[in-house]
Amino acid sequence: MLQRALRLRLGPYLSGRGLGTYRGGSTLDWDGKVSEIKKKIQSIFPGGAWSPLYDTSHLPPERSDVVIVGGGVLGLSVAYWLKRLEKQRGAIRVLVVERDHTYARASTVLSVGGIRQQFSLPENVQLSLFSAEFLRNINEYLAVVDDPPLDLQFNPSGYLLLASEEGAAIMESNVKMQRKEGAKVCLMSPEQLQKKFPWISTEGVALASYGLENEGWFDPWCLLQGLRRKLQSMGVLFCQGEVTRFISSSSHMETGSGEQVTLKRIHEVHVKMDRSQEFQPVECAIVVNAAGAWSGQIAELAGVGNGPPGTMQGTRLPVEPRKRYVYLWHCPQGPGLEAPLVADPSGAYFRREGLGNNYLGGCSPTEEEEPDPGNLEVDYDFFQEKVWPRLAQRVPAFETLKVRSAWAGYYDYNTFDQNGVVGPHPLVVNMYFATGFSGHGLQQAPAVGRAVAEMVLEGHFQTINLSPFLFSRFYFGEKAQEHCIL
Amino acid sequence: MLKYIIPTVMLMPLTWLSKGNMIWINSTTHSLLISLTSLLLMNQFSDNSLNFSLVFFSDSLSTPLLILTMWLLPLMLMASQHHLSKESLTRKKLYITMLILLQLFLIMTFTAMELIFFYILFEATLVPTLIIITRWGNQTERLNAGLYFLFYTLAGSLPLLVALVYLQNITGSLNFLILQYWVQPLSNSWSNVFMWLACMMAFMVKMPLYGLHLWLPKAHVEAPIAGSMVLAAILLKLGGYGMLRVTMFLNPLTEFMAYPFIMLSLWGMIMTSSICLRQTDLKSLIAYSSVSHMALVIVAILIQTPWSYMGATALMIAHGLTSSMLFCLANSNYERIHSRTMILARGLQTFLPLMATWWLLASLTNLALPPTINLIGELFVVMSTFSWSNITIILMGLNMVITALYSLYMLITTQRGKYTHHINNISPSFTRENAIMSLHILPLLLLSLNPKIILGPLY
Repeated sequence: MLQRALRLRLGPYLSGRGLGTYRGGSTLDWDGKVSEIKKKIQSIFPGGAWSPLYDTSHLPPERSDVVIVGGGVLGLSVAYWLKRLEKQRGAIRVLVVERDHTYARASTVLSVGGIRQQFSLPENVQLSLFSAEFLRNINEYLAVVDDPPLDLQFNPSGYLLLASEEGAAIMESNVKMQRKEGAKVCLMSPEQLQKKFPWISTEGVALASYGLENEGWFDPWCLLQGLRRKLQSMGVLFCQGEVTRFISSSSHMETGSGEQVTLKRIHEVHVKMDRSQEFQPVECAIVVNAAGAWSGQIAELAGVGNGPPGTMQGTRLPVEPRKRYVYLWHCPQGPGLEAPLVADPSGAYFRREGLGNNYLGGCSPTEEEEPDPGNLEVDYDFFQEKVWPRLAQRVPAFETLKVRSAWAGYYDYNTFDQNGVVGPHPLVVNMYFATGFSGHGLQQAPAVGRAVAEMVLEGHFQTINLSPFLFSRFYFGEKAQEHCIL
Repeated sequence: MLKYIIPTVMLMPLTWLSKGNMIWINSTTHSLLISLTSLLLMNQFSDNSLNFSLVFFSDSLSTPLLILTMWLLPLMLMASQHHLSKESLTRKKLYITMLILLQLFLIMTFTAMELIFFYILFEATLVPTLIIITRWGNQTERLNAGLYFLFYTLAGSLPLLVALVYLQNITGSLNFLILQYWVQPLSNSWSNVFMWLACMMAFMVKMPLYGLHLWLPKAHVEAPIAGSMVLAAILLKLGGYGMLRVTMFLNPLTEFMAYPFIMLSLWGMIMTSSICLRQTDLKSLIAYSSVSHMALVIVAILIQTPWSYMGATALMIAHGLTSSMLFCLANSNYERIHSRTMILARGLQTFLPLMATWWLLASLTNLALPPTINLIGELFVVMSTFSWSNITIILMGLNMVITALYSLYMLITTQRGKYTHHINNISPSFTRENAIMSLHILPLLLLSLNPKIILGPLY
């Protein structure tokens, strides 16, 4: 009775989530009783459309300490490490806002799922090494009481990157750097390559680097579900909705050198529900932008890039969605079970899928051939004209193959230097980024999540120093260019 | 007494008839003036009490509490300005009216001469507080908090009504002046035991006693700033004040009945202090520290020695000011960062050095640093409990250590350390905030120069 009376006093957007505690469980189970009472009232007074009580359990809470925009593997990883690195249990309230819980267009689940350490930047190698260790021990990290262990289907078959004459020197120096960081990579000459993988044609190959350990591919959907399950057990709130607005306040300040800057702080995040105009303002202290391919739009909502070009104010987040195709084909005489993920110098790559001579692969198009990212339709002509010839040249057995299916997914492509953006924005002080990884986000997600959580909780990177990946590099023009992009 | 009540009642038309941009100025100034007139109460003519009429009186116990109540209203109004700035004008006026109404009921409670009058007003103070918590609180949990707050107090005080009506039947009058002379020793029979329990439970719940304290963290955390201030500073002291009045006619049964409650309080004092060490929510930490300090007051009142009564009254005033100040500080944090989690707002000393000074002073008074009145209160209580039973000194000493630990923990987590990136653009301290803090700490520090005015009737 009192609860109904109190609810009637509340305004339309103050959600009454029953009498449960904010941790999620309702101790008095009012919600079921409320809907029964509603039905009784409606049966007594038929016809009226107005009901004084409405169910708001689908709305996110009114307040949250951290709001993570985007529920893909990067967003969930940040949430996981925030909850894991907090000093006391239940210290931080985290809300993950995901627009589509079926993940139909998310980059995570449409990814090929590979993990490698063969990058040209030491930070990338460190990130992948930690992530490999995370994936190997995933059942210690993501264990939930009474739930079955996760089977990531990690195939540790390694990556084989091939280099032509021009790229051989760079590859050698990269491998040296990777070995220094602790990756186990071996260099092979064309003869060794031919001996090890007889199905490969070493024409045009001067050098090959083959990852021996911690490289391969796994099931990204399983990782996502494992993270979701663990996060639900740790008390992270999930919400299905779209972020449509940020309410922020600005203050004009002067730097030490006398320059005028406008610092912004986000106070509220408006989360709009699916297929309805209803929205919930979530008051928050920190916003994490992990929206993947759509991070650019979220950043624009927050006011990143509103200003004269050439200033920090006017530097946009250069992350845009780029469509990439993945084709699945069957080739009975194809490479066997030892086949790694082979990356041709021309840009085509393929890997084995399953045990029935099926293979996955694709190719990154050049800048001119970039397909329109408006939809996820697959262009089979691209395979016929660009991918197949290159594959057939590298692996002669692929001359006779039959394409079974294909799909397209987005890269959250960083047009500046194809590496991730991590850390806070210098001007919008409480927005942190964890996006822009241009195709290698899934494999670095666990380590990046930890780095962002450290940044939020401690104020600086503790384990892996990702200062080359901060946002301010877009303004200063310091590219952290990644050359080995697939 | 009408010289306080009528101006307080007239504050309500003042708010409703003021123009939009003048409501805060008008109400704050006039309530400040009223609080200054309350100092007249200090002029006590006799050792007994200052009787204004047959309905109202004040003695040296209720005087400091009254002055604290009236002093707190302008501070509450100043503290609420920011979070109400976005509400409509009618809502603001309603809020201020609730505060004024609460103030009115509290003044009348502390000066009530008749026990039934006291009881009615004691219950009446619940209504404006409930409205403030449930309508203007921050989160969904405030409904739960309001419910807990209301029903714990109501359930505790219903037996008190029964006992008071019974007493009225027996004695013919519940007027304090008359009751003092009627007092007969209560024999140890079952019905007297229940009457003792009935009289005391309402105040135990209000204090709160350790086992009945569940409503307090909820209510304090979910209430808006003025609600938290008045809850911590005054409403808890209503319980103490009531106990001090009611034990007058419950002797000598108290010596026997008080044991379980003393044990609960001693144990609870240490438990709640330890819980403070594990808190991540700033307001929750301050709420649990309130429980811990009030447990000391309960012990002091129940052992009924002159020293302990002096300690209890001093501790009530000191805790009122300190706790209210800590809530204001936590609120100033919350208004900037929109989060009550301590670790999300660290290293504030580099950004807001003056506010850090207030944090330091509040934490130091919270841990009962000499020569503040907090220490005087705690010291008196420790000494009297030592003479009551030697072993309690171990518990008291442990409590003082843990209190120091969590006060410093709170100070260091919020003020020291490397600042987080997302507090780069917090607005500097407003003059209003600095005024609130100084108006809290100034009486606290000045009272350490002349603590005898808060030591109560047994000085």
